[in-house]
Order: sequence, then C-alpha cells, then structure tokens
Amino acid sequence: MAKLNIFVVLLLLLQMSVVHAQQPQPQNQPTIEQLLQEPFLDDYYSNVVHGYEIITNSQKHASRYVGNALNCTTCHLQAGTQKDALPLNVAGMYPKWRAKNGKRNGIGLRIRECFLYSMDGIMPPEDAPEVLAIAAYISYLSQGQVMGVEPEGRGVPTLQDTGYDPNPANGRLVYMEQCASCHGEQGDGSGDVPPVWGLDSYNSGAGMNRIQEAAGFIWANMPLGNGRSLTHQQALDVSAYLNLQLRPADPGQSKFLKLLEDFLN
Amino acid sequence: MISQLLKEATPSFAWWRNPEQWRTELFAGLVGAVLVIPQGITFAYLAGMQPEYGLYCAIFVTLFASVLGTSSMMSGPNTAVAILIGTAVLPLAGRGSPVYVDFVFLLCMMVGLIQLLFWLLRAGRIFQYISPAAISGISAGAGFLIVMTSLDSILGLSTFSTTFFYEKLYVIASDAVDLISPYSLGIGLCTIAAGYLGRRYSPRYFLLIAVCVGYLSGLLVAFIWPQPVTELEYLGRMPLQWLPFNVPTVNREYLMISTKLFPFAMAIAFIGLAQSLVIVRELKMGTDQDINLDKEVYAQGLANFLAPFFSSFAGAGSFNRTKVNQRLGARTPLSGIAASGFVLVLITLLGPVLTYMPMAAMAGTLFIVGADMIKWLDIKHYAQVRSELIIYLATFVSIMFFGLATGVVAAVVLSVSVFMLRISQLELKLEEMPSGTVVRIKGALFFASISQLTEEFHRRVDEDLTVDLQYTTHIDQSAVDFFSREAAQMAVRGKQLVLLVNARQLQFLNSMGLSGQVKLESLQDSVSNEIY
Ligand code: HEC
Ligand code: HEC
Repeated sequence: MAKLNIFVVLLLLLQMSVVHAQQPQPQNQPTIEQLLQEPFLDDYYSNVVHGYEIITNSQKHASRYVGNALNCTTCHLQAGTQKDALPLNVAGMYPKWRAKNGKRNGIGLRIRECFLYSMDGIMPPEDAPEVLAIAAYISYLSQGQVMGVEPEGRGVPTLQDTGYDPNPANGRLVYMEQCASCHGEQGDGSGDVPPVWGLDSYNSGAGMNRIQEAAGFIWANMPLGNGRSLTHQQALDVSAYLNLQLRPADPGQSKFLKLLEDFLN
Repeated sequence: MISQLLKEATPSFAWWRNPEQWRTELFAGLVGAVLVIPQGITFAYLAGMQPEYGLYCAIFVTLFASVLGTSSMMSGPNTAVAILIGTAVLPLAGRGSPVYVDFVFLLCMMVGLIQLLFWLLRAGRIFQYISPAAISGISAGAGFLIVMTSLDSILGLSTFSTTFFYEKLYVIASDAVDLISPYSLGIGLCTIAAGYLGRRYSPRYFLLIAVCVGYLSGLLVAFIWPQPVTELEYLGRMPLQWLPFNVPTVNREYLMISTKLFPFAMAIAFIGLAQSLVIVRELKMGTDQDINLDKEVYAQGLANFLAPFFSSFAGAGSFNRTKVNQRLGARTPLSGIAASGFVLVLITLLGPVLTYMPMAAMAGTLFIVGADMIKWLDIKHYAQVRSELIIYLATFVSIMFFGLATGVVAAVVLSVSVFMLRISQLELKLEEMPSGTVVRIKGALFFASISQLTEEFHRRVDEDLTVDLQYTTHIDQSAVDFFSREAAQMAVRGKQLVLLVNARQLQFLNSMGLSGQVKLESLQDSVSNEIY
C-alpha cells in the first residue's frame, strides 16, 4: 500500500512538471515600471533598463553619439511599444541580409544606423555599451514573438497608391493647419515636441526622410493623439513638404559638409 | 596621536606662501592637463568606462590628491589601476553598462577606504620592502598590456578576448583581411609614426604631436570616405559637467558583490599606493620639497574614496606626468590643482573638436605610452644582480600570461621573499685563536638565520667556541634557546661556549633566561647597537 502511494505521488509530480513545462512563460517577465523599482538588477535586466532609458531619453543617456535634439522615442513611439509607429519588438527579424553591403547584419547595425541618420550623430562601435543596452531592450520587448515572423504592426503602414503625386504645396497648407500648432511654423518644435526639420532634426539619409515611410508614420500617428485623421493624400503631401525642408546632410554622401556642419553645431 | 592624524588630515596649502613660484606652477599645470586628457580617455577605456569618467578622474582625483598632499606629484588616471579595475569588474557586468559603473564606484570606494586604513595603521612604510625591480616589472607588464589593448582600436577590431595574448595575435594574423579595418590601421600607423618621429624633435610634446597627426589623418579619411563605409570609431561628444555629483549606490546586494571585489580592491589599493609612494620617495630624495609620506598616503586614500562621489574612478600617481611636471620646474601641489582646473577648461573648449577624434589615434598614442613603459634598458640594469633580474622577469612574464593582478601578487611575494632571504643571511667571520675558534656574527640572529649558525657549530664539535655578538643587530628567544642547548651539548663533550656581548646584550640575554652553561664576556667599550 505504502509503495503504491509513493508511486501515485511520483506520477502526480511527473504530471505536474509536464504541465508546467508546457505552459509558455514569456508573459511573466517584469514590466519596465517594476524593473525601475528594483534596487538591484542582474546584468540582463540592468541593460534592459539602460536601453529603455536611452530610448526614452537619448539626449541624456546616449549623448555621446547623438547629434540632434531627438530621442529614439520621438519616432519609435511609446518607447518602441506602439504598433504602426516603428515598434522595436523586432529582435526575431535579425540578422537579416542586406543588399547594401552584401552581408547579414545583426540588430546592432540597425541601431547604429539610426544613430547615424535619424539621430544625425556618429556611428557607435558595434560593442558600445549603448548599442548593447538597446539590443537587450529590444530582445526584452520581443519576448513572446515568434522568431523570423514579422510582428504585427511592424514599421509603419504602407499607404496605397492614391494615384496622385505627393504635392508639397498642398502639404504646406496641411502642415500649417494641423501640425504647426505643435511643431512650430519653422518646424523647430518646442518643449517636448521635437523639431521636424532644421539642423536639430533627422538628416537627409534617415528613413523618415523617405516620403513613403514618413507618410505612413504621419498618417498612423500624427497629429499626436489623433492619428489616422488625415487622408492618405494629405499624409503624402505633408511628408513631401517635410522632405523639401532644410536638414543636416546625409553622412553617406557629403563627407566634408558633414564635418563642417558638426563643427558649426 | 590623534592630533597628529588631524594635522595630517588637513590640507597645508604651504604653496600659498611663495607667490613667486605660482607662474611656473600654473604653466606646468597647463602642460599636465594637455598630457592627461588623452591618458584619461584611454585609461577610461582600459577600465571599461566611458571616456568622461576618465576625465573626471583627471580632474577630481588630481585635485583632491594635490590639495591634500604635499608634493608636486601628479595624480590621476593610472594605467595599472585602470587595468585592474577592468579585470575586476568585467566578469561581473557588461562593459560600460550602468551596473558596471556602479560596481566600479563601489570598488573605488573600497580602494579608498583600504588606503585610508593603510594611513591609519602607518603602513606606508611597508612599500619600502617592494623591490624597485618589482615595480619596474609591473610597469613593464602594464605597458605590455596597454600595447595589446591598443591593438584592438588600432586594427579596428571589436573587442574580443582570448586566454593568452599570443592566441589573439594568431587569430588576428590568420584572418587579417577580414578582421583588420584598413582605415583605422592607417590612422593608427600615422599616429605612431608621428609620435616616434616627433620625439626626435621635441621629447616633451611628442605625444601631443602624435595625437594631432592622428586627428588630422582621421579628418582626411573622413573627407574621402563617409562613416558608413569606414565604420570608424570616434570619441563622440562628451557630456562633461562641471560638478558631476553622484551618490554611489550601496545596498545589501552590492555589499554581497563587494566581497567578490575585495581582493581586487586590495590589489588596487596596494598597487596605487606603491606607485605613488615610489614617486613621492623619488621626489623627496631628488628635490627639496617638504614632503610628508603619511600625508601622501592619506591624500591618495581620500582622493580615491571621494572619487566615486564625483563620477570618477580611482587613480594614483603618474610617473610620466610627474616627470614632465618636475622638468617644468613645478615644486608644489599647486601644479596639480592647476592641472585639474585646466582639464575642465580645455575640455569645455575642445569638446566639439574632440568629437571627431578617431579612437585609432588615441590608441596610437597609447601604444607609444605602453611601448615606452617596457624599458629594455631595465633588463640590463637589473641583470647585475640575479635575484633582481628574476623578480623583474617573473613579474613581467606572469603579467603577460596571467594578467596584472597575478603579476602584482608574484612581484610582492618575490620581493618579500628576497628580502627575507637577505636578512636571514648571516655574515660569519671565523678566526682561529689559541683559545679556540672565534665566530663573529654580522646580521640579525633570529629563528630564520640560526640554521646557518647551527651548521657552523656542528662542523666544529670538538673545539671551544667563542661567539662575538657585537655586530649582531637582533637576538630573539630562539637564538637564546639555541645557545643554551649548544652549550649543554658542548659541556657534555667538555667544551666551553663563550659569548662576547656588550652591556645591553648582557642584560637582555640574562633576562631571556640564558643557561648558566654559557659563559658571557662583556665588552664594555664595544660598539653597541641601536637597533635591538
Ligand atoms: C527620425 C525618426 C527616428 C528616430 C529618432 C529613430 N529612428 Fe529608428 N527607425 C526610424 C525609421 C523610419 C525606421 C525604419 C526605416 C528604415 O528601415 O530605415 C527605423 C528603424 C529602426 C529599427 C529597426 C526596426 C525594424 O522594424 O526592423 C531599429 C532597431 C531602430 N530604428 C532603432 C532606433 C534607435 C535605437 C533609435 C535611437 C537611438 C532610433 N531608432 C531613433 C526612424 C527613427
Ligand atoms: C499635439 C501636438 C502634435 C501635433 C498636432 C503634431 N505632432 Fe508630430 N509629434 C508630436 C510629438 C510630441 C512627437 C514626438 C513623439 C513623442 O515624443 O512621443 C511628434 C513626432 C513627430 C514626428 C517624428 C519625429 C520628428 O521630429 O521627426 C514627425 C515626422 C511628426 N511628428 C510630424 C507631424 C506632422 C506632419 C504633423 C501634422 C500632421 C504633426 N506631427 C502633428 C506632437 C505633435
């Protein structure tokens, strides 16, 4: 009898452990708020928190490599957690092949490129602490995603062809009406609102400087808090307008200008 | 005692009293500041920290050490200390991450506390037992490590580590085309070449020449190829604050970590003080500065303890900068104070220019500094004495293979054992007299040196022995016991043991319970010894 009892207990235990193993666990990772409360973090989570701090306040925590007045979160809204606003839960998509340099590139290069173009700064080295921290934060955000499968709402929505060319003149009207109240008539932003052009904004090599990309972003997210209120055509027009404005040079093209610019800045 | 400590703990500001010296000091400070900037940045890299921490170290550690100290020694970022910080904390956290920085601050506070303890225990003098050969060996080993790490940036490798250095060289050599970035190699080589050429013309400023040429060649590269192509590593903007006040995190978990850091804290405290005190001692012997060694220990300790509160890591005295300082005629701590102020001003002014400083140029200068620390002449110098040569080479080789921490331990153990061996060596002079053999003993007669005497005694079992203790510096209980024992044995064979002693020794031996079988002959007029 006693033997049987032990057997039953063992069986139960086995069953429990199997059930336990089957449950997917990624959901119970601590939230950023919880992590921020912790007095002590291990290396991974401290990097996650550091990455979060860089994304939300690049001006302070990654000042070494930042050349303009933006933070990562000005484009990757809600610290990279908002769908259709370039969310950062994309760790499963890398490394990925790039025609540009004919190599497979990890998430590191993508991060460094955003520093170089979107933040108009200098490219951090692959193993810079800032890059590693952001990479850790991206893996943290990507918990629960399926590797290799594009997460829902990645990047920005692609706007269907409206049949009309984007019209900057019309875009100017839209801008003055809908955007200038926050971003300013000179596009230089103010307070918490980032500049959309000028020497303190992203440079001409940035993804945001591609009309399609910017239009998708603007249509889905701008005016802030009232996304998807513009028509596709309005979004395309206003991005064409933004595209024409003065901004820092593309570091990939004019090298000397770039250096001069940085000395003046 | 306490009033003496308090007196040491308050800055003396003696330099205030001779204003005619100020101009020289200020100029020396300016040159010191120019020299320390590249060192601060690169040593921060060695310590695994962001460059600004190195500059804070150059500002605040220098400032505190000079305000509290008494000499014209330039403190601040130090190679060996920086490397040791790196080795201590890198296994615990990712380089440069916030926890890493916290750990470094914790470590540096511990270093400061340990050094303050050294001060309270008046332990500064133990550094006299470290042989100069060991210090040279450590410095050469550190130089070697610097050269190896500088290769990372010169060749544009992303950091990778191997167990032994030759593996790294092998990996680099076997995959050179893929691994090495031609752009940063070019810049690095220009820097190094400029440094060595520049030394011919200006031995004082050649490092500066090297940095400038490196910077210009970096601009040239950037002019021809854009950054996405070169992927060159630049220094970047440095967010330098004038008062980077910071409260180091200390909580239960961190205290747990601190037990792991403790051996390193000891090593750093030790190595830092050892270097500083060697410098200070040289200054004291070579100049007429009014130097107080204990006060310097205190200054180093407090400076390192306060460093984390100003976002900086620990430092120590710097050989190369103190040398330059001295050559420029600096004689008071004012030069150090001035240097720290100039660093702040220079960085604020140069900030935008420094942004585009290629790391390869920095590494090139570091290469020169490191290569200079390996002095081949030293080997020749120490080759005269075998034990010194062994200490030097053993230290150097163990640093090459097992890292700085191991090397430091080896150096200390070796120099202490050489010291031990040397003081446990007796100089015995034998004279055949009609009355029997007279043994004159020079040296300290104690438990470790008795065996030598025993051999001598046993070689002459059938003689009357007279032992002349006039020149013996120290006698301990085991020596007394030894004489009693031998006398008893000799008495069995019908021989007599006579000790020639002076008055104080006579009293001492009697009080220690020397057996009556030993005959004592007191020499009233002898040269008595002060050290007893
Ligand atoms: C000016 C807006 C802007 C800023 C600021 C910005 N990014 Fe981006 N980022 C983009 C755009 C647009 C894309 C996607 C387009 C592309 O591939 O070029 C992108 C893509 C990315 C991706 C890849 C996302 C994916 O879906 O694969 C990562 C990772 C990233 N950014 C990181 C960062 C980091 C880190 C920062 C802050 C240092 C930053 N970005 C700042 C605009 C920005
Ligand atoms: C309510 C104020 C507000 C309005 C109106 C508004 N924005 Fe924004 N915009 C913001 C803020 C705030 C951000 C930064 C997001 C963040 O920090 O969360 C932003 C970010 C952006 C960005 C990306 C960051 C950058 O600096 O380039 C673009 C592009 C942009 N807005 C374009 C527009 C356009 C076009 C309109 C008009 C259709 C518009 N915005 C209207 C507040 C506003």
